[in-house]
Amino acid sequence: MNWQSIRAIIIKDLSLFSRNQFFAVITLLGLGAYIAIYFVMPSTVDESVDIGIYAPVVPSSLQQLQESGQGLDLVSAESEEELRQGVAENDYIAGVVLPADIEEKFESQEPAEIKLYFTSDTPEDTIEFIDFLITEVAYLETGQYLAVEWQQEILGPDMVGTQIPPRDKLRSLFAVLIMVTETFALASLIGEEIEKRTGQALLVTPMTVRDLFTAKAIVGVMLAFSQALLFVLVVGGLSEQPLIILTALILGAVLVTGVGFLMASLGKDFLTTMVWGVPVLIIFSIPAIGIMMPGAVSDWIKIIPSYYVTDTMYQASIFGSGWGSVGDNLLILVAFNVVFLSAGILTLRRRFQ
Amino acid sequence: MRLRRVVVLLRKEFLQGPKNFMFVWALVAPILISLTISLAFGSLFSNETTLGIVDQGDSQLVELLDESTVSSREYSSVFALENAVAEGAVDGGLVLPNGFDSAIAMHQEIAVDFYLWGESLAKDRTLLTVTLTNLVRELAGSESPVEIQTITLGDEEAIPWEDRLLPFVVLLTVFVAGIALPGTSLLMEKEKKTIDALVVTPTGLREVFVSKGVLGVIMGTLMGVVILVINQALGSEPGLLIMILFLGSISASLAGLLMAALFDNTVTFFANIKMIGLILYAPVIIYLFPSLPQWIGKIFPTYYIIQPVVEVSQRGGGLMQILPEISVLIALNVGLAALVAFVVTRKKQYAV
Repeated sequence: MNWQSIRAIIIKDLSLFSRNQFFAVITLLGLGAYIAIYFVMPSTVDESVDIGIYAPVVPSSLQQLQESGQGLDLVSAESEEELRQGVAENDYIAGVVLPADIEEKFESQEPAEIKLYFTSDTPEDTIEFIDFLITEVAYLETGQYLAVEWQQEILGPDMVGTQIPPRDKLRSLFAVLIMVTETFALASLIGEEIEKRTGQALLVTPMTVRDLFTAKAIVGVMLAFSQALLFVLVVGGLSEQPLIILTALILGAVLVTGVGFLMASLGKDFLTTMVWGVPVLIIFSIPAIGIMMPGAVSDWIKIIPSYYVTDTMYQASIFGSGWGSVGDNLLILVAFNVVFLSAGILTLRRRFQ
Repeated sequence: MRLRRVVVLLRKEFLQGPKNFMFVWALVAPILISLTISLAFGSLFSNETTLGIVDQGDSQLVELLDESTVSSREYSSVFALENAVAEGAVDGGLVLPNGFDSAIAMHQEIAVDFYLWGESLAKDRTLLTVTLTNLVRELAGSESPVEIQTITLGDEEAIPWEDRLLPFVVLLTVFVAGIALPGTSLLMEKEKKTIDALVVTPTGLREVFVSKGVLGVIMGTLMGVVILVINQALGSEPGLLIMILFLGSISASLAGLLMAALFDNTVTFFANIKMIGLILYAPVIIYLFPSLPQWIGKIFPTYYIIQPVVEVSQRGGGLMQILPEISVLIALNVGLAALVAFVVTRKKQYAV
């Protein structure tokens, strides 16, 4: 291989890329936007429901609920007026007023009158939940225990207290989007080279077809990997299992380069490249959306190659999974890379010839 | 300017359009995005707590759950339920054994398997447990020891995320068709030099611009109506909504023509659309978050398309309520049209 020629082509392509106004803008804007969105999103998950309470006498079961810390945060108000104000200002989602004679009412088996305050935009399910909660407290206070024993079993790692913020779930989606967007640039550059026949001109020099494809592949991997790496570095995505994440990003960059070759062999210019690029972008995003909405997609998403990038990144960065857990993903990704790169090179070679 | 020539050029646009990516994209993208928002984002932002059930004995609790606000799904086997919980398709899973209802009726102790997804939130776990416990008490015929009075404060209505995102889809639809179609069509003629050939015939530059502008207006209005129909948001004033979309499409088409006249190729055109994207969509972002000061939206021109659409389609407003915004939109269109006419005149003088 003629590394001098390869180096020249790489420098030429990178220079063309940086001079292309559209790709320069979408690269900077895209990267900036993804980073901004990431940091604007909350970094923690609020697992509790804030309930305001005005109660001259607080029933013991309610105190126990507060102390158990099971997703309820009870905030005491000094007066009913303060409670109403707190609800109106959204300090808590509901306000509960317990009468001063509640204990006597419970003892005498008379129904106690309880007021619940909500804002008009409170969802129906929240109103029903607070209603049920207060009713259950009353049952417990009157000694009416339920004969049902809920035998709880947690399936999967119990994340209560250590929930994953949605922005961290989005990390792999953003990385894939960044990498796929860069294939537009690669495909467009190659497509124009075919149309203007500059590729054929290069092949009459000492440069071989292999040199040309090696150079293009290196440019594709460099563009996709460097930006995805910059993104994960800025958002702290390398704090857990950095080697695995770097491997997944490199393999992902090779994958999108193969896809870029295919797109280039099908498209002629910027617009026709977009025709093929947009469906690829949508399809490659689906596995990451599956992480955001668990259960919405089933096992069929495993036929989408980007699944193995997103799943590896998610497992490694969120759960700290090691090589043993994500090794299969990486091997499948290598196989996909071989298929896509070979298919891309074969179709491109036909167009060059 | 001859109307017949404009019609001939417009006919060509419609006949050649389906071969152009932007034409197909303008038709497909808004529908795809609208369906995605309806199907996916509606449930993504709703934070709905869901419960999976396996009912082994035809329990009445399933009916009570259907009537409650907790979303429930039935599964045919415990294995399927366990999988659904483990994958997070539901937050919790309940296996109701045979004889559950009779045990409750006779106040016999009974154990029920209750699965929880590891990533479910603490508040959702409490919500499910409290709801189930209350419904079982209802099933047992227990008398509530409390009388609850619910008092609602304020008169604001909750706007679902699906509805909040509607202005975004409408704006996207009108602008993809309105800006991109006439813009790319004109630029492709410039790039392929066919516009030079056109203007040496009796067809003038003004007729070319008008035909491409009309294409954007027709497609923008049409696709805007399609999106409103898909989202069942045509409301009681469809004529008024069509008029707003028509005026919005005129703005978009004029903007597209102006940009296409100023730039030399599609790449620069799209780069600049990306750059002004924030200005175009800023009113939508402000509308998405009601806690932001809403007056900021009025600074941006697209506010005068979005606000009337929201007022008529979601708040049941009429012409009188949207008259100030419509007046501003018409004034903007007149200003843009004058600007495009000025640019066309200058291009005519100095060649395309």
